[in-house]
Amino acid sequence: MKPVPVLWLIWPLLAVLGLFFAALLRFADTSLLQQIPGTAMFEGPRSLGNYADTFASPLARKALWDTLVMSLQITGAAIVLGYPLAYLMARSPSKFLRNAIFFVLIVTFLSGGITRAYAWMLVLGNNGPVNGLLREFGLPTVRMVNNRTGVVLSIVHFVLPFFVLTLLGAIRNIPASLEEAARSHGASRWAAFRDVTLPLSVPGLVSASLLAFTLAISSFLFPLLLGGGRVQMFANLIYDKIQSSFDMPAASAMAMIFLVFALLPILALNLIRGSLSRRFGGTRR
Amino acid sequence: MSSRPYSPLLTFAAALVLMFLVVPTLVILYSSVSPSARVQFPPEAVTLKWFGNFFENSQFRDALVNSLLVTALVTPLTLAIAVPCSLAIVRRRFPGRGLLSALALSPLAVPGVVIGVAFLNFFAWTGIDSGFWKIAFALVVITLPFAIRALVATLEGLDLALEEAARNLGASRFQTFLTVTLPQLRSGMLAGGIFVFVEAIDNFSTVVFLTDMRTNVLSVQAYSYIRDFNDPTVSAMAAILILQSVVLVFLLQRFAGFEKVIGGK
Repeated sequence: MKPVPVLWLIWPLLAVLGLFFAALLRFADTSLLQQIPGTAMFEGPRSLGNYADTFASPLARKALWDTLVMSLQITGAAIVLGYPLAYLMARSPSKFLRNAIFFVLIVTFLSGGITRAYAWMLVLGNNGPVNGLLREFGLPTVRMVNNRTGVVLSIVHFVLPFFVLTLLGAIRNIPASLEEAARSHGASRWAAFRDVTLPLSVPGLVSASLLAFTLAISSFLFPLLLGGGRVQMFANLIYDKIQSSFDMPAASAMAMIFLVFALLPILALNLIRGSLSRRFGGTRR
Repeated sequence: MSSRPYSPLLTFAAALVLMFLVVPTLVILYSSVSPSARVQFPPEAVTLKWFGNFFENSQFRDALVNSLLVTALVTPLTLAIAVPCSLAIVRRRFPGRGLLSALALSPLAVPGVVIGVAFLNFFAWTGIDSGFWKIAFALVVITLPFAIRALVATLEGLDLALEEAARNLGASRFQTFLTVTLPQLRSGMLAGGIFVFVEAIDNFSTVVFLTDMRTNVLSVQAYSYIRDFNDPTVSAMAAILILQSVVLVFLLQRFAGFEKVIGGK
């Protein structure tokens, strides 16, 4: 008896992917057309006009720049906050501690975007517990919603579980005995970490950071709720375009540009992966 | 030399980060039983009226029903597509196998808003007008990578000897799959299924483009409510979702094991 042909196993996936890519192609085509004024319809001739308009618009250029800057800040914060947690989780001898950290990460991760966005609105709001504490100590209150602070904080919170879980896998693949060997030859804890574990974890750190950047750049819900209309990330600009004018060709062109920026880190990873594993070797991922 | 490979300073830093992660969840739970949207300590009173409000509000009720119906369709459908294709990716050698697995994961790399606008445009072109089917299809595309990743990781960890033994003892390929392979995929299907389920309930950035007057879902309804009202009804909804995720985490731990989930890349 012969095994089931591969095609039988994969045709449902091919059908779904086919429709997905058909939608993306149709979308790329739409971005070249023009809206018929006053309607939701569009017509030719095909041109790059919508792309030129987007790059010429100060609003769009500012949103693109802000999105990139904020995504870099968020990635930086994820590294600073996430590395200690991932390291502790990988190296702690206590199963209880490991499970506790994992529990917190997964519950945070699974409780969803709307939940967390609303939670941050409550926490950071002018009547929230943070400003309540400040008031209690007679300190001036700080505005943290409807500006960048709230947006960046909430997105850091959103990407942190992804970042930590990705980095964790990489650190766990580095044998703890390497660090112990350094320690027993007289290196301080910090020196052993800095000269042994940290360099070996670079490939994992790079993939985790790129994941954080990719998630940050596509944020939509957090700037929508915590930005209060004052913080425009690029995804929000596209949403506003659809909401305000239903100009599908213009929105499509903006989304195509956005897609290219969102895919850049993944392309970069594939380009540098070879040189990373050559330089740092040994560890997988 | 201390027994721990790390310093107390690191433990302290990690504790602060854990607090940062936990605080919003605690505040939401606290707010869901508070009398007003103002988060105050100590609490003035404890009330369950926001939970009542959530279930009595007809818009929330309709959205909840729609969300549950969509997930009830999307979760098994996504797994049904993902299981055979993960088998093909791990067990078979065929031309284009690497490309197939890259393409299967590709929706992960596309921002949700882009997928939303693309499908809005595509469905308008094809004339599909049912909000329910638009949302369901988009969610299958978005959640497939989660399911495939979990299943591929599980399949790669399986011992082929068990299946070979079944075949040597005379079981047909189909019998072997049903009685030996499939039961071993349980943890991968559970982990994948949970991610699919949660993403299908929670997705906002794509679904917001596909809802219409007749078909709203929980995430989009919660957003409209937050925009228009200032009371903790959404906290009650969030508290329910958090409790649900705690239950799911225990299921995951019980049947798949945390360590296994971490191991699955």
